[in-house]
Amino acid sequence: MEKLNLNNLMKRIQNDRDEMAFSEIFDFFAPKVNAYFIQNGIKFESSEELTQEVLSTVWVKSNLYNSKKSALSTWIFTIARNKKIDFFRKNSKINFKEEDIREFLYQDREVNLIEENEAKKQIERINNELDEQQKIMIKMNFFENKSHKKIAAELEIPLGTVKSRIRYILTKMHEFLR
Amino acid sequence: MNRTVVKNQLIFDFASGILGPAKSIFASTYLQFNSNASKIGSTFENMLGENLMDNENIHPKNLKYTDCIDSTNNKSTSNIKDPVTSFFGNLNNLKWKQVYKGFREYTATIDDKDELKLIKMDPGVSVPLHSHGGKEYILVLEGSFCDEYGEYSKGDMQINDQKIKHTPIASRDIGCVCLSITEKEVIFFGKYGSFLNLFTFIKSFFKPK
Repeated sequence: MEKLNLNNLMKRIQNDRDEMAFSEIFDFFAPKVNAYFIQNGIKFESSEELTQEVLSTVWVKSNLYNSKKSALSTWIFTIARNKKIDFFRKNSKINFKEEDIREFLYQDREVNLIEENEAKKQIERINNELDEQQKIMIKMNFFENKSHKKIAAELEIPLGTVKSRIRYILTKMHEFLR
Repeated sequence: MNRTVVKNQLIFDFASGILGPAKSIFASTYLQFNSNASKIGSTFENMLGENLMDNENIHPKNLKYTDCIDSTNNKSTSNIKDPVTSFFGNLNNLKWKQVYKGFREYTATIDDKDELKLIKMDPGVSVPLHSHGGKEYILVLEGSFCDEYGEYSKGDMQINDQKIKHTPIASRDIGCVCLSITEKEVIFFGKYGSFLNLFTFIKSFFKPK
């Protein structure tokens, strides 16, 4: 689906609470968000519940989305990521005495947000600099949160190569972003 | 240690959502105080958003779009807060612990393997030459300090490890307030714990100084 089309659908949700527009957004993103949770090691039933929470947030908080600040996919990714953090926190032994600190950690950063155009250019530049294997590694490491060891096993390359290639990407990143 | 790698790793791990609570607070403060770090964070979030856009489809079995539609139409407001004051409250009201004259610290009570601390140094106060057990991240929130490696002002982050020895001095005019993370040394528990701890203790003598 074209980005422009997604943005139009989102506008219809924001302005008219258009349920048909939402059903299209749902059809496009729900399976991808569900896959994201499963890739992150969450079991199917829970992934489905979390997907429901993410898409409900898209509907309820639609007015918080600003197409000038980020792509729709970025906004939905951040919602899904935050649900993932909450999920793992609920299921961990870590004790939180404070109120939910996650709430204010992953809020919109009002200052210094980059325009989508600028982000687009930078991502294009990065995509040109990285080869396919590096892109896959970024996805496996940071999107699917797989360990270096697991990445090495799945790509059938030595662990040392994975470590050095990811280190290379991290070093290069500030040059790409200039 | 390559500082760029460590800094970007922190930002990327934050964007991925895999940091523990102490480092999450630290990283989000870093992004709030440092515009360059914030840009890297935003770009990386956009890259992860692209990953979502191109992600494979695993269809939910029992979920329909109507399950996600809430009839209530509540306008949400985003609440922008500074993570430091949200977490610690007003810094002037904290019960600072004086380590020595002109040097105070406040350790956060968080259940995490990393230790989160606020450090306050009066103008011109210096820290005696020291090195570090684990890795230490220091972010300047107010004022500035300098050491053998350079000057650090609001939004700058310094990363130290056991190989670095330094003598930080707070700015003569305004002193400084910093947020710091210390990665604790691994401590082993269980049947062979005491043996492993003895081993790391002995090993520490052979670390390059």
